[in-house]
Amino acid sequence: MKKLAFFLGKGGVGKTTISSSVASQISREGRKVLIVSLDPAHNLGDVFGARLTDARTSLGPRLDGIEIDLAAWVSRYLKESREEIRENYRYHATINLDSYINILKYSPGTEEYAVLWAIEHIHREHREDYDLIVFDTPPTALTLRFLAMPSISLMWVRELTGMREKILEKRQTVLRLNPEASVVRGAVKKDEDRIYSRLSGIRSRLTGLHRIFQEESYLTVVVNPDDLSLAEALRIRHELEKLEVRIDSVCLNKAPDEGACKEKVEDSFRRFPVFTSFHLPDGVRGAEDLARIDVEDLKNDLIGRT
Amino acid sequence: MREGVLHKAWDFVRKFWKVVVQVNRDKATDMLEFEVKEMENIFVILLLGSFIGLPSPPAAMAMELLPFMEDEIGLMVSRADFAQDPLGAVMGMLHVD
Repeated sequence: MKKLAFFLGKGGVGKTTISSSVASQISREGRKVLIVSLDPAHNLGDVFGARLTDARTSLGPRLDGIEIDLAAWVSRYLKESREEIRENYRYHATINLDSYINILKYSPGTEEYAVLWAIEHIHREHREDYDLIVFDTPPTALTLRFLAMPSISLMWVRELTGMREKILEKRQTVLRLNPEASVVRGAVKKDEDRIYSRLSGIRSRLTGLHRIFQEESYLTVVVNPDDLSLAEALRIRHELEKLEVRIDSVCLNKAPDEGACKEKVEDSFRRFPVFTSFHLPDGVRGAEDLARIDVEDLKNDLIGRT
Repeated sequence: MREGVLHKAWDFVRKFWKVVVQVNRDKATDMLEFEVKEMENIFVILLLGSFIGLPSPPAAMAMELLPFMEDEIGLMVSRADFAQDPLGAVMGMLHVD
C-alpha cells in the first residue's frame, strides 16, 4: 500500500502547484493529508497563502503542511555527533575534531542525508496520523541524489561491514593464541563491537528508506510540453530504474494543446499512465484556486493505490 | 629452610617458563597482529579517506561511526610514522637484519 506521494520534475514545471492541488482536493474529499516541502527554496507556503515552518501547520480541515528546514536538520545532527564524540573520546582534540565537525555542514552529501533523515522522521512520526503524505521535492539534481543515497551508502556499508567482520575474526584468532596481545584490547565479538553495531544500525535505516521509496511511495514525474522538461523527465525515469525505484505515472502540466502534447509524452513513457492537469492561466492564489485545478485523473490513480 | 629455597626456586622456574611461553606466543602472533593493525588502519583510511583525497563514503556516514573510532584513529596516526619506511617495518617484524 502506498502512503507517500512524491512529485518530481525539472524546476519550474509546476511540482508545487500540482502537489498542493492534489493534496488539497484529496483532503476536501475526506482523507487526512500532510503536505511536506523538501525544497530548500520553499514556496509551498506562498501557494497556500500561509506561513509554514518545520512544525505542522493547519492549512484547512484535514490538511496540514510542513516546510522542512534542512539547515536545522544538519545542525541538529552535527550537535548530536559532537556530543557523542565528547562522551566517547578520552581526548577529543586529537585531530581537532570540533573544527572538522563544524565544516561538515558544507560537505558534499550532507544536504541529501538531511533530506533522508527528514523523510524518515516524517514517515515514522506521522504515518499513522494521515491517510496520505505528499512530498513536494527540490529540483531534479538534489532529488535524484537523495533518492540514490540509500543505495550508494548501502554499498559502502556492505564493504565496511565485511571488512569489520574480517578484523573481528582475526582478533578472535589472535585472542586464542595470545590473550596478552595488544590488538585484542578492543572487542572481538560482533555484538560487543560498537562500530559493527553502528554499521548494522545504519544498514537497517538505509534499507528501510530504500524500501519506503520502492514499496510505499507513489512517484509521479511532472512535465511540461517543452523538450527540455521531457528530456529531464526521461532522465529521472532512467536514473530511478537504475536504483530499482519505479515511477508510477507522468503528469503533463501547462499543455496548451492537450492532444498533440499528450501523444508526444505517451510516446516517451509507453508503460506509464500519462495524466493531464489543466492549470489556471492567472496563477494560483490560495486554497480556492487549488480546488479549481483539474487533477482528477492523477488524483484518482493515486487514491486507487493508497 | 630447605622448603623455602625449593619454593623460591619453583616460583622462579614458573615465572621463567611463563615468560618463555609469552615470548613464543608473541613471536607466533606477530604477523597476525601486524595484519590486524593493517586492516584496522585501512578501515579508518577508507572511512576518512576524504582527509587525503581518497574516495570515501558520504561524510554523514563517517560521522555516525566517528564517535567509536578513537583507538583506530590513534592507530592510523601511529601507522603514519612508519609510512616512510614500510619495508623496514616488515623486515623488522620478520627479524631480518
